[in-house]
Amino acid sequence: MNLRNNEVLREKLAAEYVLGTLRGGARRRFESWLRDDALLRATVANWQGRLGTIAELGRPVAPPARVWNGIERRLQAASSPAPWWQFWRQDAARPWAWLTLAAGSLAVAMGVILAGRDGTALPQQVAALADARAHTALVVTADTKRGRLDVRVARDVQVPDDRTLQLWAIAGDGKPRSLGILPDNRSAALALDQRAIGPDVVLLAISLEPKGGSPDPDRPTGPVLYKGSWTRL
Amino acid sequence: MNRDLDDRVQLQRLIGAVALGDRQAFRKLYDATSSKLFGFALRILRKDELAEEALQDAFVSIWHAAAGYQLHLSAPLTWMAAIVRNKALDMLRRQPRGEVELPLGDYDPVAALQDTAAGPQDLAELSRDAVALAGCMERLAGRQRQAIGMAYLHDLSHSEVAAQLSLPLGTVKTWIRRGLDRLRDCLTNREPV
Repeated sequence: MNLRNNEVLREKLAAEYVLGTLRGGARRRFESWLRDDALLRATVANWQGRLGTIAELGRPVAPPARVWNGIERRLQAASSPAPWWQFWRQDAARPWAWLTLAAGSLAVAMGVILAGRDGTALPQQVAALADARAHTALVVTADTKRGRLDVRVARDVQVPDDRTLQLWAIAGDGKPRSLGILPDNRSAALALDQRAIGPDVVLLAISLEPKGGSPDPDRPTGPVLYKGSWTRL
Repeated sequence: MNRDLDDRVQLQRLIGAVALGDRQAFRKLYDATSSKLFGFALRILRKDELAEEALQDAFVSIWHAAAGYQLHLSAPLTWMAAIVRNKALDMLRRQPRGEVELPLGDYDPVAALQDTAAGPQDLAELSRDAVALAGCMERLAGRQRQAIGMAYLHDLSHSEVAAQLSLPLGTVKTWIRRGLDRLRDCLTNREPV
């Protein structure tokens, strides 16, 4: 069956997929098509928008206070109430994880520094940004003399065509500041914003954003993929 | 309409802040949406204690999933409602069969609205999308609405809907398909250029 050229069938299947009446093998087959058909995913998203609005067509009922109390209790019990950038708190229960991350970052940072020793100035600040599994994906170095931030992206970092990687500086109080987006999502030299290397900046992070960067200038709107501590040398 | 957009932007900001672990923003997000979402969970589950648990599950998920919310894919309330629906349907599947029964009228998404729309005040609270959907739903036949509502709110298959409505399976399939077609056409025509 050629789904690509059958607009009527695509709409019908997407609608019934969202409604929930597409079942069993047909549902699984549809899900496998979804994986490599962005247009079909968009059709599904449209239906999710249409039918999802059914949620609003009813009487609002204020939930009793115990619901909120239960949510708070469960979030505390889940032991990950620490915001994502405070990974030292999240990892408090397993200090070795933090050590591994630190050792990995240090090794990469040393590599960058040594590679740069061909007469050019050494960077003054460096961060190795890693994903949740401590796999380093980017290295950022600040060169205050030349006023630039060098961002090197590992070759295996894949970014969908319609998305952009955006670099953030996170201050000790948790406030993010955008340092700019990475053109082409590859290695780049960004202008060094003095705010980026302020003494209060403890972390750098990368979020995945729509083309053009986060619609909210003050914070990421997409998932935060990589982060690492911003170390003064 | 501007208020509508403001609400949407406000919720997006709150979700963004929640993604950064902001507890106060999470509380604000809860305050802004929990009544709508609890009402929705009640329509699916009918029993207070089940709906309360589903709402808790959903907000715990929202806290953890906020960083993955993609604003270009869905409106914030739609995204949250989808999480509530998933949690409520999980809960529904865990209930012994026949434990949660609804009177038929309750499946009708528009009847649920009429039941409550005590006055223009309530309607004014609805988003533009919701007003458009209600208008388009009203143009479907009553049982067509019911069939769609049943499938969506209770996760019923074609044959389960047919059994509930005492109608032949083929009729139900056709009704649902045509109902969805008409809904899409109606909503598309209403969408501003």
